Amino acid sequence: MGWASPRVALPGNPPMDMLASLLHLTPATFWMVSKVVIVFFGVFLLASVWTWVERRGSAMIQDRIGPNRALLFGKWPLLGLSQLAADGIKFFFKEDLVPADANKGLFWLAPFLAFVPALIGFAVIPFGRSFESGGQMYHLSVLDPGNGMGLLYPMAIGGMAVYGVLVAAWSSNNKWSILGGMRASAAMVSYEIGMTLAVVSIFMTTGGYDPSEVIAAQGHLPWAWNIVHQPLGFIVFFTCMFAETNRLPFDFAEGESEIVAGFNTEYGSMKFSLLALAEYSHLMTASALVATLYFGGWQVPFIVNPPVLLSVGCFLAKMLFFAWVFVWIRWTLPRFRYDQLMHLGWKVMLPLSMANLVFHAWRLSQGH
Amino acid sequence: MGVVVKKVELSWLDRTYVWPVMKGMSITFGHFIRQLLTPTSKRFTIQYPEMKKDMPEGYRGLHELKRFEDGAIKCVACFMCQEACPARCISIEAEEFSDLNITQGFEEKRPAKFDIDMLRCIYCGMCEEACPKDAIWLRKDYEVAAYDRLSMQYGKWDLMNTYAEADGKERISQDPTPSVLRRTIAL
Repeated sequence: MGWASPRVALPGNPPMDMLASLLHLTPATFWMVSKVVIVFFGVFLLASVWTWVERRGSAMIQDRIGPNRALLFGKWPLLGLSQLAADGIKFFFKEDLVPADANKGLFWLAPFLAFVPALIGFAVIPFGRSFESGGQMYHLSVLDPGNGMGLLYPMAIGGMAVYGVLVAAWSSNNKWSILGGMRASAAMVSYEIGMTLAVVSIFMTTGGYDPSEVIAAQGHLPWAWNIVHQPLGFIVFFTCMFAETNRLPFDFAEGESEIVAGFNTEYGSMKFSLLALAEYSHLMTASALVATLYFGGWQVPFIVNPPVLLSVGCFLAKMLFFAWVFVWIRWTLPRFRYDQLMHLGWKVMLPLSMANLVFHAWRLSQGH
Repeated sequence: MGVVVKKVELSWLDRTYVWPVMKGMSITFGHFIRQLLTPTSKRFTIQYPEMKKDMPEGYRGLHELKRFEDGAIKCVACFMCQEACPARCISIEAEEFSDLNITQGFEEKRPAKFDIDMLRCIYCGMCEEACPKDAIWLRKDYEVAAYDRLSMQYGKWDLMNTYAEADGKERISQDPTPSVLRRTIAL
């Protein structure tokens, strides 16, 4: 019956349309749904794999070995990847404890408030070259270009991430939590300014704020990418991303050497796992943003119109490289003191990004 | 007395903070690559059940009661170790034995019971030092653990067989010569 449906008459990608008609969906809806599934599950999967990268990578950096004892079906250690499954099972079966004095509703809500913004920030980022098939354009991002939000969307959603941390901290009714939450939210709010100003100078030089425009403006030549034009902006943006994602050296939400575990002190079982996954999803989104803004997104070096799969692979390579840099830096630098963090945020990062903005505005006015 | 702390003058490159961070990252990445390319057997970590640390000379681990080639215990039950033991963990009961081949019919002494309470033992090696016959010594093995307290009471045969497998010796549970019934020796 699907074959006889008039929807199939639309010109499109034959195998895609076949699948879509089998599911009684229009090709457009099917494409949308599959993009959402691929992107969100992909980010989710990468985030959980990155917990493994973090543990094994940190072990290698510190001349240790890391988790390698868990066995899948009692047989395969899979380089420690089985630990993921073991941890997942453990988290699911642990007692789900809510402190007696906690604000129960918010306590339950907080992991989702942390997790959802981290995940949906990815929605506008194109993870591959748009392609045409059967007279129809297919864009490899959940929200098609020209949606009017562009890169303002991940910035706004990134601002939302404060709520997850703050609500988790406040609802736990714990002194460590509230300390961590307050510090983290102060840090995130102050770093957001520098970060946004750094991004604004990219918007200026691009002449638009849609990620596809930003990528198209950078082109396929590595020396035309924004990292070469705006190295200062990159440093500011990347530094602010550490504060945004609450990762070391700006690990103020957690600060386990000072305030137990900060905002997730009271969290256990799957809620804790979700908070941890939120951090890693945030990390993935942040590295995708860095790749898009400064390293040409899906552009493959020296190839003008790359095959779609190659462009997706190139984007993934860039994104995962920056995700690795997040891990790498975490195990290189010690944590800042809180006043040093605020000093760096307000007295260094903000002036630097302002200088960057003014410099590029001047360059634009000179006709470059 | 105070210590004069020299303040290091940072060059402008160091004060940017970005360059030192990159230097630090190159160090950590060097460690990462080196550890990644090192085979497991050469890494610092000793993966315990599969790999074991080679203990240094003079390490004092679990005791062994030595035996002669025929399986006779070297200990002559002189009680020197029991006296020397600061933790009082050794308790010996002596017996006499006699054999035409080995002792030419003379009666000699050996322990009927030789118990060491491994929970009390402090592995000081005083028993080894006190022993005139080199019959007890502490070896390098350190895996002395059990699920209950009773398993930590090592008897004569436990101590004689401690390293039977490792040394390729037979496990024994009987003295090669029978003991003489206990009696009073009238002088």
